[in-house]
Amino acid sequence: MKKMMRLLALLAAFTLFAAACSSSTADSTATGDDDTETTDDGSSDDGGEEEEATEEDGGDDAGDDAGDDAPEEVDAAQGSDLTFHMITHSDDGPFWSVVNRGMDAACSDLGVTCVWVPGNNDANVMVQGIEGAIGEGSDGIAASLPDPAALVPALQGAVEGGVPVVTLNSGANDYQEIGALTHVGQTEFIAGQAAGERFNAAGVTHVLCGQQEQNNVGLTERCGGLEDTFSGTVTTGFMDLDADTTAQQAAINAAMAADDSIDGFLGVGPVITLSGLRAASDLGRDVTVGGFDLTPELLGEIEGGNILFTVDQQQYLQGYLPILQLFLFQTNSNTIGGGLPILTGPGFVDASNAADVLALSEAGTR
Amino acid sequence: MSETTMDEGHISNADEAGQGHEATAVATESRETTKSAAAPAADERLAYRSIFQRMFVQPEIGAIIGVIGVWTFFWAVSLNFGTAGQTQNWLDTASTLGIMAVAVSMLMIGGEFDLSSGANTGAMGILFILLIKEVGELGGLGISIWFAVPISFAAALLIGYLNGKMVERTALPSFIVTLATFFILRGLKLGMSKLLTGQISVTFTDEASGYDFWQPIFAGEWIRNEHIWNSRDIFYLGFAIGGAILLALSMCEMHFVRRETKSAAGFPVLGAGAAGVGVAIFLMHTTDGVNANALAAAVLGVSVLVGLIGLGMWRYEPVESPGGIRLTGKINMRIAIGVALVGAAILASFAIDSDNAETLFFPFTVQGLRVVLMMALGGAGFTLLTWAANLALRVNPTTKLAVSTIMAGAIVAFGFVIRASAEATKFRTELFSVFMFAALGIFVWSVMSVRFKERRSVDDGADALGMKGLGLGIFMLVLAVILRHLFVTQDELDAMVNPARFSVRMLWFFAFTAVMAYLLARTRFGSWTFAVGGNAQASRQVGVPAARTKTQLFMIVSGAAWLVGMLLAFRLSSLQAGAGDGEEFEFIIAAVVGGTLLTGGYGTAIGASFGAAIMAMSLVGIQSARWNTDWRFVFLGVILLLAVIANRYIRDQATATRR
Amino acid sequence: MAERALLELENISKFYGNIIALEGVSTKVNAGEVTCVLGDNGAGKSTFIKILAGVHQQSEGSIFLNNEEVMFSSPRDALNGGIATVYQDLAMVPLMSVWRNFFLGAEPTKGFGPFKWIDQQKAMTIAKDEMAKMGIDIRDTEQPVGTLSGGERQSVAIARAGYFGAKVLILDEPTSALGVKQSGVVLKRIVEARNQGLAVIFITHNPAHAYPVGDRFLILNRGKSLGSYDKDDITQQELTGLMAGGQELQELQQELEEAISGVKKT
Repeated sequence: MKKMMRLLALLAAFTLFAAACSSSTADSTATGDDDTETTDDGSSDDGGEEEEATEEDGGDDAGDDAGDDAPEEVDAAQGSDLTFHMITHSDDGPFWSVVNRGMDAACSDLGVTCVWVPGNNDANVMVQGIEGAIGEGSDGIAASLPDPAALVPALQGAVEGGVPVVTLNSGANDYQEIGALTHVGQTEFIAGQAAGERFNAAGVTHVLCGQQEQNNVGLTERCGGLEDTFSGTVTTGFMDLDADTTAQQAAINAAMAADDSIDGFLGVGPVITLSGLRAASDLGRDVTVGGFDLTPELLGEIEGGNILFTVDQQQYLQGYLPILQLFLFQTNSNTIGGGLPILTGPGFVDASNAADVLALSEAGTR
Repeated sequence: MSETTMDEGHISNADEAGQGHEATAVATESRETTKSAAAPAADERLAYRSIFQRMFVQPEIGAIIGVIGVWTFFWAVSLNFGTAGQTQNWLDTASTLGIMAVAVSMLMIGGEFDLSSGANTGAMGILFILLIKEVGELGGLGISIWFAVPISFAAALLIGYLNGKMVERTALPSFIVTLATFFILRGLKLGMSKLLTGQISVTFTDEASGYDFWQPIFAGEWIRNEHIWNSRDIFYLGFAIGGAILLALSMCEMHFVRRETKSAAGFPVLGAGAAGVGVAIFLMHTTDGVNANALAAAVLGVSVLVGLIGLGMWRYEPVESPGGIRLTGKINMRIAIGVALVGAAILASFAIDSDNAETLFFPFTVQGLRVVLMMALGGAGFTLLTWAANLALRVNPTTKLAVSTIMAGAIVAFGFVIRASAEATKFRTELFSVFMFAALGIFVWSVMSVRFKERRSVDDGADALGMKGLGLGIFMLVLAVILRHLFVTQDELDAMVNPARFSVRMLWFFAFTAVMAYLLARTRFGSWTFAVGGNAQASRQVGVPAARTKTQLFMIVSGAAWLVGMLLAFRLSSLQAGAGDGEEFEFIIAAVVGGTLLTGGYGTAIGASFGAAIMAMSLVGIQSARWNTDWRFVFLGVILLLAVIANRYIRDQATATRR
Repeated sequence: MAERALLELENISKFYGNIIALEGVSTKVNAGEVTCVLGDNGAGKSTFIKILAGVHQQSEGSIFLNNEEVMFSSPRDALNGGIATVYQDLAMVPLMSVWRNFFLGAEPTKGFGPFKWIDQQKAMTIAKDEMAKMGIDIRDTEQPVGTLSGGERQSVAIARAGYFGAKVLILDEPTSALGVKQSGVVLKRIVEARNQGLAVIFITHNPAHAYPVGDRFLILNRGKSLGSYDKDDITQQELTGLMAGGQELQELQQELEEAISGVKKT
């Protein structure tokens, strides 16, 4: 008897909870564009001017902008009902904060609601995020795929449940298996190949390819691409984590000192690239340094001529385009790319365009 | 510890054990030494433990041996690990890691953990930069470095204070409380950076007011190539040889029985030996040919032997009848197997293609496996020979001399084979010399043991003198190494050696370690730290302010995090929001490698600094040896495991219960 | 008011809620005397100690120290009053050296201001001398306390209490975990402490340990005092009998004898 009562109570509680949940989603759709979880500086896309970016810190402004920019009144009204989820393995580092801004910009441009779900490099958290999005009745999921084995089944579940999926950043090999609309990203191998060509042009003979993570497939592919096109020798090695720049620099220093023939360094991330530059200057060696991704410091060094180039995968697009694709699919049944992935890179930043990009980077959109 | 089995028998009558005890107290300098030795002949159940055995139970001894072992290992397998440039490289890494490891080990001795220590280092650097950064677009406060330094330091102390108070008030494990602090700091770093600068990393420039004053304090550098001193090597060699001689003399002083009346007969022999050493060094310095060098080496070896025997004739009690060689079957068997193994190792070394030096030290290549095979065979062979020598010592010193001679011979043979097959001059000369010196040392020491009585009783005077000599000798050796590292000769400069820039970070590291070691060993605060970690309840009962002591320990850790934050900020002039996150475990590992007990109440600051050095050396050494970095963590794991086992053994030796 | 003993207790009671842990217990101890508190498990011995040591406060009754009524609010308070307690679980840090343990919390220092350091030489000499006064030769005060035998550890604690000016020394079951020989050592220390002029309260459940060293005996049973006797007024046999509740023990003895004789017959 007692057990029955408890069961009943539990059931009642559950129903209440479910009701509360559904009513809250109803609320959010009703209030529309300004009740979002997007960050405030999301509207900084227009022009990329920093003053404007910081002044526009109200959700209302963003909403107004969206209204202005929307192509048709009808679409905007339709769009405002939509909620998209972007689930990434983001650690909120310099790279992902730009993706986040891209997403925010797309959402305020289109007048839709977007939810940013960072996975902190934990596939399990991402799976939970995906399932949570499906459960909330998401209108579209954009997800990165650092760990396909764990994430493909979850995303397939979304597609089967009628939720359109776009993969971004990593996932070029798996998006078709999922049934995703497209993949927005850079093929790491191709990016590495392009870096190799740059080193060839610079007349370098032996490149040290330094990785800041040991079990990241994408980073290994970057070094692999370099090895593919570079005509000289490539030495690849793990050089400690970004969190410990002291150790990172020491490792690169030791690796360079151990081999006098090294005259090039490719850092597959922005922090390690700067560590490589410092290590080379400590050793008093003339080393040609190339890097990946953008930070203001890295761009400053490129502008100053200390770093030859950096490979830019224009991650702002990786935040912006998936939302655009999902929006167009939901409102107009469009797909972009013809089944092929949409490549956002490799673009290069070198001395020729560093100053321009630096201004944009400081605004947080490059 | 069977030799020290006892009942309350050593609570002997006071009158029986009166003599010599003041002296023991006087001679005892270091903290954890277990000197059970002072009992005069009164207690036959108490075995004499020589000063070397007593030194061996210092908690930091494992880390010291580890530092020497890891350094020697990487020095032997890489071409440039021992150069000034790479020494600077690993010392620099050890500095920031070591400052934190020392502080964290203090806290661990006090029985607590601080998981926020890693994130705290980055947080302090970021806070500092945000304080001085120009206001600009919602930037930092733009205040002078003169104010930012004390403000950020105060903030650090506050974080430590709060950590301590929260642990005290909630009575939760510090593991949990500081985990919360870790997440808060991590979030604050990211949140504040993005909020105030819109960036994920914060940067400052040398335009900040006060930069010129503070930059040299936190990031000053000694650029070796700018300090040319052509007669450096004379001083270097002088100190090095002087230090080595002092070490040898001190060890003799502490090991052998001193004569009642000194005999002047030893002086001429000692003089002849000393002259021989001088001639040998002069020969080596002035000649260049292989034959001349071999001659000089032979002279040196013989002179060292003669000189030490002279010393013994002057100062030490001779052995009347050392007895003849009596090899038992057991010893013979071990010698036979040992020699066979060394022979096999030598054969294996022929299989190594020394022309292909590139792949020589990559593990898991054919070459690498051959090297591993050679090292394993050689190691096993020498282990067996050592075993045989130990067994022989139980028979008599002469037998041990016989075994040691065989061992020295094996080492010499091995050295020659390696020299013949090695390509690089480093292995041909330096490694070869080390082999020769090792063989010489083993042989000479055994000869001395045959001729002179080994001490089996207490002689505090001799131990005190020996410790002084040992200290001075080590000081001279360290001085020699420092001179060599800080100055460059014109020849080296012309040979384009890699430059080395010694940063002031290292001085901070040494100074911080010294201060903490002093606090721990010599002050009430240090005593209380051990007490609250060893038995918090007991220390409270006798009036130790346990909560206050722990809070102060937390403040030391966060103060150290501030220091590291400053060093990072001035070094990089820009910090990532994630800087330092996750490093707290490296600090704990370094402390544990350095002999700190995970459960508290035991450990030293110096040990932790050596632990940090071991970790930094392996990081740099693996790169220097050009190993495949995929295997790096295997190496680190093995080091950690060995260190923990060794520390456990040492601790058991030091604290073995004698009931 | 009549001259009181160094430490006197009058009608001490302690209630935990409705549980009576101790009721109407009175006894006294003079300098240079040993008062033994005897009782079986659950007799209220530990409550008794905790009240004297300042861990708990009595619910009723008075404590007189040096003719003044006192109430100890904390262990520190009791310690300042000159009452030192050596607990069964020992206030020792096993991994620390003898001299550090000896002076723990009251290390002698040299220097001034924030630059104080421990006068290690002095501490080691004193620790050694004080132990020697107790008749114990600690050869090396640097050795960790954990390497000492149980009896020696008790001795360090007793010597420490004496050195730091304790007038009353409370020993909580110092012999219970020790072997015969070790117990003898500790009993010797108790006598030494008494001879040095300390008032000793020796808590034990072993009359054979209590009788030889005690000058006065307080017997507790189920929280109540079965009386406080001077040594002249009681024999060891009577003491044993009282402690186990007199009658019961006699019966037990009889049963045992019968059982034994029964075994012998068959």
